[in-house]
Amino acid sequence: MSWLVWRQYRAQGAIALALLAGFGAVLIVTGAQMASQWHSGLASCAASGTCAKLAQTLSLGSPLGRDFVLLSNLVPALLGFLWGAPLVAGEVEAGTRAYAWTQGISRTRWLLVKAGWLLLAAAAWGGAVTALTTWWYGPRNALYASAFQPNTFDTQGIVTVGYSVFALALGVAAGALTRRTLPAIAITIGGFIGMRLLISEVVRQHYLTAVTAFYNPLQAFAPPGPAWTLQQGVMDKYGQVFTGGNGPEVNGVPFSALPANCQKFIMIDPGTMTKTSLHAAVTCMQASGFRGFVTYQPASRWWAFQGIETGIFLALAAALIAAALVVVRRRDA
Amino acid sequence: MIGFRVDGRSGVPPYLQIVQQVRQALRMGVLGVGDQLPTVREVVAAVAVNPNTVLKAYRDLEREGLVEARAGQGTFVLARPAGPPPGTHSRLGRSLARWVHEARSAGLDDESIESLLRVTLQAGGSTGFLGEGIA
Amino acid sequence: MSEPHRVKVVAAPPALAIETSGLTKRYRRVTALSECSMVVPEGRICALIGPNGAGKTTLLRMLAGLAAPTAGTASVLGGTPRQDPAFLADIGFLAQEMPLYRRMSAADHIKIGAHLNSRWDGESARARLLGLDIPLGRAVGTLSGGQRAQVALALTLAKKPRVLLLDEPVAALDPLARRHFLGTLTSAVAETDGALTVVLSSHLIADIERVCDYLILLTRSQVQLAGDIEDLLAEHKVLIGPKKDTGALAATHTVVHTTTTARQSTLLVRVGGPLIDPAYEAADISLEELVLGYMGASAAPAYAGLTTVAEG
Repeated sequence: MSWLVWRQYRAQGAIALALLAGFGAVLIVTGAQMASQWHSGLASCAASGTCAKLAQTLSLGSPLGRDFVLLSNLVPALLGFLWGAPLVAGEVEAGTRAYAWTQGISRTRWLLVKAGWLLLAAAAWGGAVTALTTWWYGPRNALYASAFQPNTFDTQGIVTVGYSVFALALGVAAGALTRRTLPAIAITIGGFIGMRLLISEVVRQHYLTAVTAFYNPLQAFAPPGPAWTLQQGVMDKYGQVFTGGNGPEVNGVPFSALPANCQKFIMIDPGTMTKTSLHAAVTCMQASGFRGFVTYQPASRWWAFQGIETGIFLALAAALIAAALVVVRRRDA
Repeated sequence: MIGFRVDGRSGVPPYLQIVQQVRQALRMGVLGVGDQLPTVREVVAAVAVNPNTVLKAYRDLEREGLVEARAGQGTFVLARPAGPPPGTHSRLGRSLARWVHEARSAGLDDESIESLLRVTLQAGGSTGFLGEGIA
Repeated sequence: MSEPHRVKVVAAPPALAIETSGLTKRYRRVTALSECSMVVPEGRICALIGPNGAGKTTLLRMLAGLAAPTAGTASVLGGTPRQDPAFLADIGFLAQEMPLYRRMSAADHIKIGAHLNSRWDGESARARLLGLDIPLGRAVGTLSGGQRAQVALALTLAKKPRVLLLDEPVAALDPLARRHFLGTLTSAVAETDGALTVVLSSHLIADIERVCDYLILLTRSQVQLAGDIEDLLAEHKVLIGPKKDTGALAATHTVVHTTTTARQSTLLVRVGGPLIDPAYEAADISLEELVLGYMGASAAPAYAGLTTVAEG
């Protein structure tokens, strides 16, 4: 059975390796450039003592490298529809299921071995891609402290392995269900993008309870390290949150929401606030119980989040393979 | 060794076609006593018939005493079919030719001759009035 | 000759390779096979005949374990068709389109077969194909239809099945390729000395007459006729006689099909006793007449009153 998988997919495997090689070449070239930029930047800022402002002065990475890294977002979906969708649907369309499913092995074994090897290959491929991108991101992570931001989080670490396995499983399940490759491809792409958006936009921030820090609104505050800031703003003593809006405002708090005794500092002309009047207003707000707050996921949780997200996609993949198995076993060939 | 022909559309059951062809070969001297008939596998591969058909034909020939199956060796001719002595065919053939000539002179075409022969065979063939040679 | 084959040597009943009982397959609205009950004894080459859409493919697919019945049971070599290596090892199935991996060669397929089957005779498949001058190394998609069919058959035979199910295997082949295909098939049957049972669906009566010794006739998703071809031919007669009431005749015999002109009736009957009515002239029947008679009987509902079809 394994030999059949090898024989059936060796051409695609070669193509995948070639693509990986091309991808790797671009990343290694641009990554090496970026690393040398980073090191010379560090050296010169150490000489001039301006390393604290390095993020503003140094621009890292070529657009080509960044485009390629963003492209790696699509890599799993590619696996899903190139390998996953035709796994069952292709055999149905070519009629070869009548051949494959009347040989001396059960359909369960046929699907498990075939999907198993491809899932392994997908994991390996995703692993190789993410190893490249993670290395590529090294200087940027150090400079911009952005490893936890959506998009950069999604293209480094171990999540790509989970995405790849999930996309392949989704393709297999969609192909088993529709029995036609093209609709299965559409479902795979749609389902993959949909699930990725759902997880990254809605679910991810709730993996662990976010930390909220309060601070003096007169001072600026940022969570330490490459944390993921979910919300930042001002809260009054009743817990109402203000994060800015339309119209005149003070530190994100609308003029109308200010206590009357604080409004007077800028009542004269809300449109032309001076630094002094603003400072007076904020001091008054602080006295009335207004606090600055920031809700964030600390940088230390980065690997935990990577692990949780990978786990979620692996679990989804397992469920999809189980569903495909049920469909293939139950339905007439 | 002889080869067989099986015509799926002749209406004659395939096994009977094989039986007839063996008998014919024996009568014409193509097969002689002691000769081996093709094996079932050989026949089946050559003419694509059901193996049971060949077996059945050979069993029929065996029952008639014309051939004999020797275990592990094959099927061999044991005897020629009982029938008129050699020469009978040619003698009767000559007299039939004379009759056909007579019939044609009387204005019968081939189709009428064939139909007359068939009717005569059907009506009287078993009673033997047409002559011992053909019955 | 007018006596049906009643007297038979009493012997142990032959083992049954296939037995179905009330086998039914319904798709959403369509009934593909309805209450199919039949047997195929071991060692037979059985023809499955019927018009398109009569349920032949459905029946074969259920026997191969590819489709599950809606109702009824099927037993192949004593087991229920299922997705189980133990069952599948004994089954050879060849779908009508002769599915193979088009980009792979015959040699690749032979190697795959060795990996997918516990009992595999790749050597015989290789020898068979080489004997037919079929290139083993070329992608099967580039072979001719006849060659591809031979590759598919050789692969199916290499499984050493005990039951071979072939769905319209020669329908797409030219006469020569058809003959070669059937030659390979009958040779394989001869090699197994009665241990291989074949069910093959086909439209070609001439092929069936030469290759098959058992018959199952399906029309409108039902079994109309099943049995040993020779027995069936002996049991049926064509009666030609004046157009008259067939009531007396139907008392002893089963009138399968009647065609009537202004003066004459031609009856296809299944003989149930001696034929004594002197008004009718009885004639032996050919396989083609038999098949067409039963197909006609089922195709024309107007004859329903006359066509009491006996159990197969």
